Amino acid sequence: MRAPFRIIFEQRSETPRYLAAFVPLMSVLAALVAGGIFLMASGYSASETYSNMLSDGFLSSRGITDTLGLSTVLICTGLCAAFAFQMNLYNIGGEGQVYLGMLGGAWAGLALGPRLPSVIAVPTVLLIGAAAGALWIFIPAFVRARLGTSEIVSTLLLTYIAASVLNHFVYTPNSYFRAPNVTFPMGRAVSESAQLTPLGGTRMYPTFFIVVALALFLYWVVKRTEFGYRIQVISDSPRAAHYAGVNARRTTMQVMLISGALAGFGGATLIVGEFGKLDQGILLLGYGYAGIVIAALARNNFAAIIVSGILFSGLRVGGDKLQITTETPIHIGVMLQGAILLFALGGEAFRRYRIRAVRIQAVAQ
Amino acid sequence: MTNASHEVVKGPHHSGDAAPIALSAHSITKRFPGVLANDSVDFDVRAGEVHTLLGENGAGKSTLAAMLCGLYQPDSGYMLRNGQPISLSSPRAGLQHGIAMVHQHFRLVERFTVAENVVLGSRDLSFTLKRKNIDDKVAAVAESYGLPIDPQAVVGELSVGQRQRVEIVKALYQGAEILLLDEPTAVLVPAEVEKLFENVHAMTAAGKSIVFISHKLGEVVEISDRVTVLRGGRVTGHVSGRGSTDTKELARLMVGRDINLSTQRASHATGHEVLQIRELSLASEGVDILSNISFNVHEGEMVGIAGVAGNGQRELADTIAGLISPTSGTISIGGAMTTDRGPIAARELGLAYVPEDRLGMGLVPSMSILDNLLLTRDRRIVVDRASVRPEANRLIEQFEIKANNADHIARKLSGGNAQKVLLARELSGGRTVTKLLVVCSPTRGLDVGAIETVRRLLDDARSAGQAILLISEDLDEIMSLADRILVLYRGAIVHETPGESAQLATVGAAMAGLKTEGAA
Repeated sequence: MRAPFRIIFEQRSETPRYLAAFVPLMSVLAALVAGGIFLMASGYSASETYSNMLSDGFLSSRGITDTLGLSTVLICTGLCAAFAFQMNLYNIGGEGQVYLGMLGGAWAGLALGPRLPSVIAVPTVLLIGAAAGALWIFIPAFVRARLGTSEIVSTLLLTYIAASVLNHFVYTPNSYFRAPNVTFPMGRAVSESAQLTPLGGTRMYPTFFIVVALALFLYWVVKRTEFGYRIQVISDSPRAAHYAGVNARRTTMQVMLISGALAGFGGATLIVGEFGKLDQGILLLGYGYAGIVIAALARNNFAAIIVSGILFSGLRVGGDKLQITTETPIHIGVMLQGAILLFALGGEAFRRYRIRAVRIQAVAQ
Repeated sequence: MTNASHEVVKGPHHSGDAAPIALSAHSITKRFPGVLANDSVDFDVRAGEVHTLLGENGAGKSTLAAMLCGLYQPDSGYMLRNGQPISLSSPRAGLQHGIAMVHQHFRLVERFTVAENVVLGSRDLSFTLKRKNIDDKVAAVAESYGLPIDPQAVVGELSVGQRQRVEIVKALYQGAEILLLDEPTAVLVPAEVEKLFENVHAMTAAGKSIVFISHKLGEVVEISDRVTVLRGGRVTGHVSGRGSTDTKELARLMVGRDINLSTQRASHATGHEVLQIRELSLASEGVDILSNISFNVHEGEMVGIAGVAGNGQRELADTIAGLISPTSGTISIGGAMTTDRGPIAARELGLAYVPEDRLGMGLVPSMSILDNLLLTRDRRIVVDRASVRPEANRLIEQFEIKANNADHIARKLSGGNAQKVLLARELSGGRTVTKLLVVCSPTRGLDVGAIETVRRLLDDARSAGQAILLISEDLDEIMSLADRILVLYRGAIVHETPGESAQLATVGAAMAGLKTEGAA
């Protein structure tokens, strides 16, 4: 005898609106539950860990400003991944484009900064950083647009090259970027005029507000402009684009270059902000990769990326402080990130399918 | 719609009331999310008869057929096979009861031979295939139903009609007693339809039951012993007796109102040349797709391009629309050269193009009706949807598009409504006033009601002075609409005739590549 019920997946003809917000929220919650079980199994108190993370990452004034500060670059890398994805392009190399943004920004800060007043020097650093990020994705973009070469592989591999390039400029003895007369290899600080001061006593920089405005602007671009319309046509139906005379190659180039520029911009915010110099420490932080998760959780919605970027930032800030204050391993934050991504991807099933149990009935009488 | 020239050899009539009922379905109900696809439907088929399921798209005939062969399971109701209750959990279970479906889209492996395809999926194969045995067995099965086929032929090299025969032989080989043919004529040329009907009669003569699924009235009257008409998931009528029903009555049962699909031609003399094609040739990877094509289309004239799918029709349309550059030759619209100038230049000269593939080429499935109307228009840097909305609403009303509003997503429209959106956009002009309309298979897959509307819209456009190039595989449609008919075969125009005096047999022969007296 078979079970009297079976579970069926029914495709939804329409996704209810509430699910768009509900599924990401539930995936965060589910990740916290999964993480909690893991914490308890390892002998830590889940409730204590989480309440510490919550206060260190979001509720204390130190915590929230640190979180918003860190979210600046994370929102940028989230936008980078999401922008490419608008056209079903996978820019996995945001990480490398962040390094290049830092490199370009540091160059601008060192070479041009001393001669410029702050109001010009800071935007210059940011724009040259963005340009460097775009430059780094130019080859993947070009071969993708012309030959259809997978941008997934090319952008990812270029990240390793970018890491070597960055190391080279920090470690080479006579490097333009290396601090002179210091035995330990480290970057040379950019000019004062190219650095912003943190907002009153915090570690948060005004670039945060620029980045939030940028996210909202991109949201508008995609929804309301001809460029956004073109992106939607191409991503949904390349043949319709061809039919309507939309130039898919050019749009592919544009979208990928902008994606790279967004990550590069994020890298440059670190030059005008917390780092102030080319710093090999960036290689361990994985901001670019985190952007992919942030974009996925926000379902590539630019406005939602602001929220998911801040959320992720808080998890990292909270997780880092946990390590210092309670000896809970720092990796709890990283693990939660991974768990959120997994649950968010799994949650897609709920958006597309209605899952229900049906009674099996006799067909013949 | 009935074509008198279809001389079908009718097999012995086995459908007397004495023949036992082979399969019956009782009070079958099937519900999909938001749709009641079948509402307590009763249906039965006797041994040795052709029982047709007639209905528009979405009437529920394919759903019913899918349940009869085990592809879907009914929500309620029951089925009897030779009087015994059966429950089919899968198509394989259906096959065990001798029920098989021949799908509209063939499920054949192109690289395999006929015999290999026929035995594919059989469970009684030995580990090493004994080809000679298999070939002989397949040939024997085919022969016994008068379906001559070479078991060693590679399927990829067969014509559509022959492939269909392979599917039928496969079903027979697997022991099918009841064959469900899902829109079998949709893919065939007239000569192949005749051949299929002969095969159907051979099968019924041998005692097989045929469930014939169709929405084409002419052929239904010709082939069926009985007809069951479905509309909106319900049975609206049972009609029995071959040839004794008129198509008007069936159309009324099917659509729920009277339908007019009569012949329409240009009512006035045609004007200047709008489209001029001179010695157009197209080759791709060394293969000639179009060779040396020249013709004109005038203001207020409809020129029909007839031909079997894959003879260069799509490429001809795409080339005129500027999507493909020809290898040689010229195209001009309204006297201005458009060769090699791309789709936007062609549109600026007054071209409108309704491609064969509606969703995916003509329309962007994920976009709203409103956004789809913008597709071929000049869009400013910031898309101004608000100013287009009143026009969108007007077009929805004028073209009788069934949609909640202009924000209705194209993917969620029925085939007929999607086609109306496409026609609405193309006929209403975008960058400039439409002078030349290229339409491909405008009514394919549409139900009778929508076909009537689309044909009326095309006729109206012609009356308004637009030049129309109608490219269609539906010969009936070309015969009843076009002022001039050109036949495209292997990329060349092999026959030209005025629409009024066109003979179905002659045009059909030209489509099949047979040389005729009237050949151009």
